[in-house]
Parts: sequence; C-alpha cells; structure tokens
Amino acid sequence: MDSIFFLSFVAVLITFPVFCTGDTCLSPVVTPQVYSTSEASLTSETAVIIEFSLTCKNHLKDLNLYADFNGKTFPVSRVQETNRYQVSWSEAHKKLPSGKYAVQFFDEEGYTNLRKAQRSTEDDASNIKSLFTIDVTHQGATSGAWVQTEFIAVSVSFLIWYLAYNTRCKLQK
Amino acid sequence: MAGGSKKLTKKEELLLQDFSRNVSTKSSALFYGNAFIVSAIPIWLFWRIHQMDPYQSMILFGIVTLVCTYLIAYAYKNVKFLLKHKIALKRSEAVTREVMRKVADDKKMAKQEKDERILWKKNEVADYEATTFSIFYNNALFLLFIVLMSFYILRSLSPAVNYTASMATAGGLLALFSTSSK
Repeated sequence: MDSIFFLSFVAVLITFPVFCTGDTCLSPVVTPQVYSTSEASLTSETAVIIEFSLTCKNHLKDLNLYADFNGKTFPVSRVQETNRYQVSWSEAHKKLPSGKYAVQFFDEEGYTNLRKAQRSTEDDASNIKSLFTIDVTHQGATSGAWVQTEFIAVSVSFLIWYLAYNTRCKLQK
Repeated sequence: MAGGSKKLTKKEELLLQDFSRNVSTKSSALFYGNAFIVSAIPIWLFWRIHQMDPYQSMILFGIVTLVCTYLIAYAYKNVKFLLKHKIALKRSEAVTREVMRKVADDKKMAKQEKDERILWKKNEVADYEATTFSIFYNNALFLLFIVLMSFYILRSLSPAVNYTASMATAGGLLALFSTSSK
C-alpha cells in the first residue's frame, strides 16, 4: 500500500511541471531591434532604444521585465495585447563610446534578486542569472567631419576658377 | 576674273567672321546647349540639399533655368569674342609654320592662296580654342558663384528665394564680368 502511495507521489512530482506554468518564461525567443544615436552635433545625449518581441515556450504574456545596463536598471514597457516590448534610455555621449554592450533582461523574480544583490555588499550582482541578454552594437556618436562640406565645395570651385583665371590671364598677355 | 572676285568675297567673309561678335549656328547651339545643362544642374543642388520639392517648384525651376541659360550663353559669346583675337595672335606663328610645312611641296600654289589657308586655319584654331575655353571659364565662375551664394551668403533665406536670388546673381554677375574688356 505504501509503495503504491509512493509511486503515485513520484508520478505527481514528475507530471507537476507540465501543468504548472508559473511566472518564469521558459526558453525565451527574442527578436530585437536596436537603435542608438550616431549623430552628435544635433543631439545632447546618446539614446539607446531596444524593441523586441518575446515568445515563451509556456506561452507567458504581459510580463513585467526590467533591463540592466552597466548597473542601471530600467523598467521595460510593453505594447498592449502583443508580445512586443520596448526599453529606452540615454546617456552622455562621452559615457557611451562606440562598442558592443550587453543588456540583461530580468523578470520580476530576477529583478528582486538583483536588487537584493545590489543592496548587500556580500553578494555579487553579476552572478544573478538573467532571463535573456540583448547585444547592443553602438557605432558611436560622431559630430561629422572637421571641415564642413560646403567649405570643401567652395574651396574646390575657387581652385578650379583660379586655374581658369590664370590660364585666361596667360592667354590675354 | 570671276574666280578672283569669289576669292575676295571668301576672304572678306572670313575677315567679317573674324571680327564680328556673331557666332556660327554650330557654336551657338554648343553655347546654348552647354548653358542649359549648366543652369539646370543647380536644380539638383536645391532639390537634394536645400530640400525643395521638384514638382511644386517646377515652374520656378523652368523660368529661372531659361533666364540663366540666356545669361550664360551671352557670357560665353562675349568671352569667346574677347579671347579669339588674343588666341589668334598667340597661335599665329605656330599655325603659319604648320600650314607652310604642309603646303611646302606644292610649288604651284599661289602666295595669296597660302595666305588664305593660313588665315582660315588661324581662324579655325582660334575659334575652337576660344569656344572651349570660354565654356570652361564661365562654367567655373558660375559654379563658384552658385556655391558661394547658396551656401554662405543666402543660406538663411527660404530655399525658393535662395534659388531664385543665387541663380539670378550668379547669371547676372557672369554676364556683367563677361562684358569687361580685360
């Protein structure tokens, strides 16, 4: 009798995860679109925008996600009734030089752990496992060429005219 | 004697052609064709860089281009006339030498005919060189005026006003400078 009870308990334990979806997104599939500022002369800060669609194996929707970038966390906004999410932030041009950055994304549980780790001095925040990571390849914000294009155009046309004028003077001598 | 009078008329014609401001139909077509292309090119500049809509400003583009074509062709003609004599004088020696070398074997040829050939060749060489140089010189000057006016002097004005004013100024100054004798 005991063995039957034990076996049924084991069977329940094995099948339990199938019925229980929980709050964690299982094997997330992310399709991201990343934008980062490339022009510095007209902008005061470098903005990074990440938009992505997220599909979970256990069909979880409307998740509360948080993005972690260089130790700063930002809440991720969701587009209503879709599986699309968006997060954006900005930093000074100098603080965000060109390069490849990894942005970590956490669900609520992960975010709580992250906050805890950040608060306590003993735990290392980098050990907290994120839900998924999106790579941001930032080209760097440049303020264009040193010399304005107009100036080059005027200089070149002046040079051509000067050549023509010189030749004309020689012809008329 | 009929032949003699004919020759004289030809010579007179050459002389007239040499000293008149009138240009042949061929060179006139070349001038107007070139002037049209040069005055139409700034449309691209104002369309792509100054963000003017080509469909909305079609009439303005057309009128300004035509006026500018006339002004540039006028400048081409004036500069050509001015340069033709100078070039003829400069190339005179070389042309004479070349023609004389060519007709040296022909002992039968009269001196008058040789002179006529030299004159004709001189006229042709000077005409060709003056035409091409005039086109080059005026194009270079027009380009300089347009870029300077539209990018620097009139940059704060609206594109349509900028276009009209810079084209009119560039064409006008080009025509004005072409009338100077130096």
